[in-house]
Amino acid sequence: MASHKESIIREPLVTGKGITYAKVTDDILNPVENKPNKAWWIGFTVSSLGALLWVFAVSWTFWYGIGSWGLNKTVGWAWDITGFVWWVGIGHAGTLISAVLLLFRQKWRNSINRSAEAMTIFAVICAATYVVSHMGRPWMALYCLPLPNQYGSLWVNFNSPLIWDVFAISTYFSVSLVFWYTGLLPDIATIRDRGKGWYRRIYSVLSFGWTGSVKTWQRFETVSLILAGVSTPLVLSVHTIVSMDFATSLEPGWHTTIFPPYFVAGAIFSGFAMVQTLLLVTRKVLGLENYITMFHIESMNKIILLTGSVVGVAYITEFFIAYYSGGEYEQYTFLNRFIGPYWWAGCMMYGCNVLMTQVMWFKRVRTNITMSWVLSIIVNIGMWFERFVIIVTSLHRDFIPSSWAMFYPTWVDVSVFIGSIGVFFTLFLLFIRVLPSIAMAEVKLLLKEQSEEYKLKQMEAGHLDPEQVEFYKTSLKKFDGVDISVYENA
Amino acid sequence: MDSNKKYWKGLEELNKTPEFVEKNKHEFAEPVPIEDVLSGDGLLGKTPRRDFLKAVGFGVGAVTLAACQKAPIHKSIPYLIKPEEVTPGVANYYSSTYEGSAILVKTREGRPIKVEGNPNDLLAKGGLSAQAQASVLDLYDVSRVQSPLVNGEGHAWSEVDDYVKLELAKIKDSGKKIAIVSSTISSPSTLAVIADFITEYPTAKHIMYDAVSYTGIIQANQNSFGKAVLPHYNFDKADVIVSFAADFLGTWISGEEFTRQYVSNRNNKSLQAKKMSRHIQFETGMSLTGTNADTRIGLKPSEEGVALINLYNAITGTTLPGSKKLADNAVNNAITLAAKELVAAKGKALVVAGSNDVATQVLVNAINAALGSYGTTIDLDNNSNQYKGNDADFAEFVNEAKQGQIAAVMFLNANPVYDYYNTKELTDALAKVPLKISFNTSLDETSALATVVAPNHHYLESWGDDSAIAGYYTVMQPTINPVYNTRQAEESLMIWSNSTAKTYYDYVRAKWDANILPLGGLSGQKGWESVLQTGFVLAAAKPAGAYPFSKDLNAVAQTIMAQSTQQAAGDGAFELHLYQSSALRSGKQANNPWLQELPDPVSKVTWDNFAAMSLTDLKALNLQEGDVITIDANGTSIALPVLLQPGQAKGTISVAVGYGRTKGGKVIESGIGKNAYPLHSFRNGTVQTTAVAKISATGDQIILAQTQTHHSYEGRNVIREATFTEYKKNAYVNSGKDGEHKDYKSLWENYDRPTFNWVMAIDLNACTGCGACVVACNAENNVPVVGRDEVRRRREMHWIRIDRYYTFNEEGKGVTEEHEIDQLKNIDNVSVTHQPMLCQHCDHAPCETVCPVLATVHSSEGLNHMAYNRCVGTRYCANNCPFKVRRFNWFNYWNDSRFENYLQEQHTQLVLNPDVVTRFRGVMEKCTMCIQRIQSGKLQAKMEKRSVKDGDIKMACQQTCSANAIIFGNGNDPDSEVSKALRSERTYYVLEELNVQPGIGYQVKVRNTTELEA
Repeated sequence: MASHKESIIREPLVTGKGITYAKVTDDILNPVENKPNKAWWIGFTVSSLGALLWVFAVSWTFWYGIGSWGLNKTVGWAWDITGFVWWVGIGHAGTLISAVLLLFRQKWRNSINRSAEAMTIFAVICAATYVVSHMGRPWMALYCLPLPNQYGSLWVNFNSPLIWDVFAISTYFSVSLVFWYTGLLPDIATIRDRGKGWYRRIYSVLSFGWTGSVKTWQRFETVSLILAGVSTPLVLSVHTIVSMDFATSLEPGWHTTIFPPYFVAGAIFSGFAMVQTLLLVTRKVLGLENYITMFHIESMNKIILLTGSVVGVAYITEFFIAYYSGGEYEQYTFLNRFIGPYWWAGCMMYGCNVLMTQVMWFKRVRTNITMSWVLSIIVNIGMWFERFVIIVTSLHRDFIPSSWAMFYPTWVDVSVFIGSIGVFFTLFLLFIRVLPSIAMAEVKLLLKEQSEEYKLKQMEAGHLDPEQVEFYKTSLKKFDGVDISVYENA
Repeated sequence: MDSNKKYWKGLEELNKTPEFVEKNKHEFAEPVPIEDVLSGDGLLGKTPRRDFLKAVGFGVGAVTLAACQKAPIHKSIPYLIKPEEVTPGVANYYSSTYEGSAILVKTREGRPIKVEGNPNDLLAKGGLSAQAQASVLDLYDVSRVQSPLVNGEGHAWSEVDDYVKLELAKIKDSGKKIAIVSSTISSPSTLAVIADFITEYPTAKHIMYDAVSYTGIIQANQNSFGKAVLPHYNFDKADVIVSFAADFLGTWISGEEFTRQYVSNRNNKSLQAKKMSRHIQFETGMSLTGTNADTRIGLKPSEEGVALINLYNAITGTTLPGSKKLADNAVNNAITLAAKELVAAKGKALVVAGSNDVATQVLVNAINAALGSYGTTIDLDNNSNQYKGNDADFAEFVNEAKQGQIAAVMFLNANPVYDYYNTKELTDALAKVPLKISFNTSLDETSALATVVAPNHHYLESWGDDSAIAGYYTVMQPTINPVYNTRQAEESLMIWSNSTAKTYYDYVRAKWDANILPLGGLSGQKGWESVLQTGFVLAAAKPAGAYPFSKDLNAVAQTIMAQSTQQAAGDGAFELHLYQSSALRSGKQANNPWLQELPDPVSKVTWDNFAAMSLTDLKALNLQEGDVITIDANGTSIALPVLLQPGQAKGTISVAVGYGRTKGGKVIESGIGKNAYPLHSFRNGTVQTTAVAKISATGDQIILAQTQTHHSYEGRNVIREATFTEYKKNAYVNSGKDGEHKDYKSLWENYDRPTFNWVMAIDLNACTGCGACVVACNAENNVPVVGRDEVRRRREMHWIRIDRYYTFNEEGKGVTEEHEIDQLKNIDNVSVTHQPMLCQHCDHAPCETVCPVLATVHSSEGLNHMAYNRCVGTRYCANNCPFKVRRFNWFNYWNDSRFENYLQEQHTQLVLNPDVVTRFRGVMEKCTMCIQRIQSGKLQAKMEKRSVKDGDIKMACQQTCSANAIIFGNGNDPDSEVSKALRSERTYYVLEELNVQPGIGYQVKVRNTTELEA
């Protein structure tokens, strides 16, 4: 792959000095091979308490019934499906990064894909818990699978978008898991090779006998490409199908043909925001600034800006179509988002997702770590409210005014949601303790071509267009891990 | 490619060292200890083969033995000798009577599970009130007194009899008075038993006392015509009806009967004959009747007298003293208009007033006489026996008791300690009565003070009779062995008065044989048996006479004016108006959870009473709905939450009685509402329902449990209305059928409905919104009761609901949209529409396509089925239902301690319909179109080797509807009633533009408003 020299104007994907293959391994495996630091313990304690809250709240729901949530005869879904769609959406960034960016040969994905994929899997787990826990009779969940049964020809309803969901989510989860695990194999083998005793034995089993031979690498690359090919349609299909839960219904505010692309864009939007939220902290705490650089942060911010704007256009389209359709129920539903009793939720949705992300047009915002992190949180909040508005604000005032009702969450609703965040972070923190949070093998590929050191060597070797060199030097200024003084002298 | 190359593994092989050669002789370089493994410890190991076999043997044996244990045994004892008439699984019907209406009681395996109207009933012709529907649950109420009590301790009946007889003998000797206090008794046999008792104990006196009294009308008839009776009203003969606060479609005298009569001039048949009655209602609070009026005018209680005087003047052209214009010009115009219309409809006009004031009712009598109503719309000769109570008699009783003249008092079906206006005076008086006997069925407020509680049977356990209308005799027969150790009150009285008849049954038989059967041309055992089947005897009606009014009205008018002045509230005060709520009425059935959860037809509030006030007053006092206010009147005060009631007369408060019971059952004792009876006052010889009240905010807030919180229909065409004038011009008006009808292309294949296509027609012009259908459906389909908190969370389970919408009339235009309503300054001019809403059984049901597990599917008879066992509870179907009629079991209502007050008691479960399963938590449910009734109708037809006839199968909601607003039947049969109804020009389908193809057609609401109206 590294058969040509990369242009100097490209920003480095790995910064810092003295980055060797060994150092990459040492840096990245540092949290895996050593006792966790205090920050990890604090985070783990808090999030596992959250996970326990989830266990408690879900057990409560199972014991007493869905009535312990705030739902009613009019609003049959609220925080449950909001949480479900939110988590599924978040999962999308991982697949996009690992599959689509791989196919497009975006090498900056190499240092973030591992965490993003892990995030995908954990987010889909969180989403799947909602699928089961929102059921009135979760012990009958198997009825949703097309299993042979003793009821004659009783099958599932293939017309129902919820059945499509079952297939979409389970396919998505299994493909993501395989993709993620395949990518992990060389790195697990590295841990195995460095470890001793039982530690070594465990990783030995987990590495599936990775030998590191050329043939293995060749197959590894092939499998990665194939899986990327398989995953790419999933990026589009999963949220398309989730959106059809709404789009194929009759409800005003749900019955909208724009939903599939709108939901996919929203999913990528929220997924990148969550990757940003996680990685900005992870790189600091684990000291991985050299591998997850400002270039990565800015690139992701650009994607957030793009998808946020796509979502914004979708919002405007929805309003236009509601007006243009002349359908009184749909018109009312969209008006109700601003003038109804849930106007504040509508404001959160449009404000956080569209207005706030527009500041990312400014490079200073995109390259400011604090701002990026805050904005990523705002996007996460905004996207939660988007789903809340679509689900609750549409349902609570639909066709027949006599049934109009308000939805008020109970402590169980809130606990299940907060708890699911706890589950997510617990899984993520465990992940960065036992597996490399950056794909070592793939980062090592970058050292020869795309590292700051290599580029510096190139500069020192001369033969470069000075204008381009100057451009390159300027671009380095935003990097927080680059010692700019080196270049000022050069 | 061949290769002769030799590869060697190491130098040893190349050099062929002796060690290598030696080692290479064997398959394995190192010796493998196979022998050791096979013979040594290897196989013996820790679990030798024999031990393993032993363990397996023991395990299998143990499991087998364990499996031999008997499964939990549920004892169900079959009939050893099967009663001839009981076939398990087949219902038996017995005719009986409820408050004078002929009814049919459905029993299954010996237990009554539902009450249905007798289609030949004189009063409602098969219609039945919510209270009657709910009464079957009272039978199984565990709060009933389960055995006789003396001084609060259980005793055998013989001991009670000995004790009471001894005491009564002493009283008889002492010559002191005995009082029998009962609510109205219209049963001839009961009255005879009491008469016999009085013969035995001559100092005894029978006092009839009604919680909600009609003494005013009775006395007025006595004054005007010398007949102290309630007349029998004929609303069906009235073309113009003017009502002054009489809730005649709901709580006033005989609501079900009047509903039937009233609707007969407004339903489809009448409209097609281009005929519709006109109904003008003047009232303080918004009553069920007011919501149905063509013109409704808010009127303060203090203005009612003046309004009636003005009406009298306008009709007769005289001028009574005290006549003056009222402040509100709309009222004056309405009076003039009403007078004009009444006069035009002379002989077919009717004026009724809800007031319990004698003078007011005398004036009403004068008006009716002037309109020629007597003999046509009012029948004084075949009078009503439904209310006979006399307030003065009871007041006198209290007085006598206070003076210690009364030695014994018996309470029969009366609870004055709760519902008398002056509880303190009454309890003080009762303290001076040594022997207090209560026949009441529960340990209510009155029974709690009684020395002896001799619990009466529930009516479903009793023999008896009734006569709601003179000449109309209904028979009551038991449908179950007594659930508890109770005894019929009549029988107790007979025993205590040493009656010669052995049982009350013999007594009733003798009475009927002698007096009643001959009236119907029947006699003997055969006649009696036929009456037990038909349920009633109807004597030939007497001709209704025209009664001229000849009394002087000047004194009457002066009394009325004096009262009005007294009633007029000064600054900062309000005029209080007390009324009966449609669900609880007088409060007798307050322990009935079905009635407590039945939404009030107007306010849609359940489980509480409230203070209804107008928007103007709320704004002036800076109050919000739900703020608790203290209402101070007649020396007592109660604290109630405020309800914003459109149409409420300004400066008035309406409060329902029947709430705030303190004793008599678990539901009651959970604390429901406040008792408003003490706010009544005794004026001019009757208990009056109005008072001047002062109010003050307490600062507390209560969220009322309403089943509907949005009250207007937002201009949506789910409700379609027209005026009668428009209808006469174009029968299709507003139904959407006259214009070019849009034909929607369908993506779906149509279902085959080869034999039946069950459909329904609901006439919005017939439905009064009373809610009897809701209770009937609860009883038929085992619909759970969820309680106040869950209703607040908007989780009531009713399969059928009545949507009630307000339209605010502003400058001749109906305003229904929220943002416009917020701009209105005056929301008093309001018209109301009721719309029964239940599963529409759409042919393209949106719920069916989204269910992931096919738990809700379409039948080949046009129904939308629900398979509870398949449902996993995703609630997607409910979300996608545009009518929001699906109900989810949020909790396990049938086995969850938080709902135990309702239907989980030991005996209350006996009321369940065994043909309908109770639903577990986590599954969806909804109207099934009483599929069990359809099934049994089909089976019946099959057994009789015929096809199902139109009208064989009736829905529970349809059956109980006195207005006949609901018609169900086979849409495939063009001659069926429902097909005919659906062919009406007025038919429209709710949300038909969604192309869900609902199976229920509604008929446009028509109002007989006139152009003259302001």
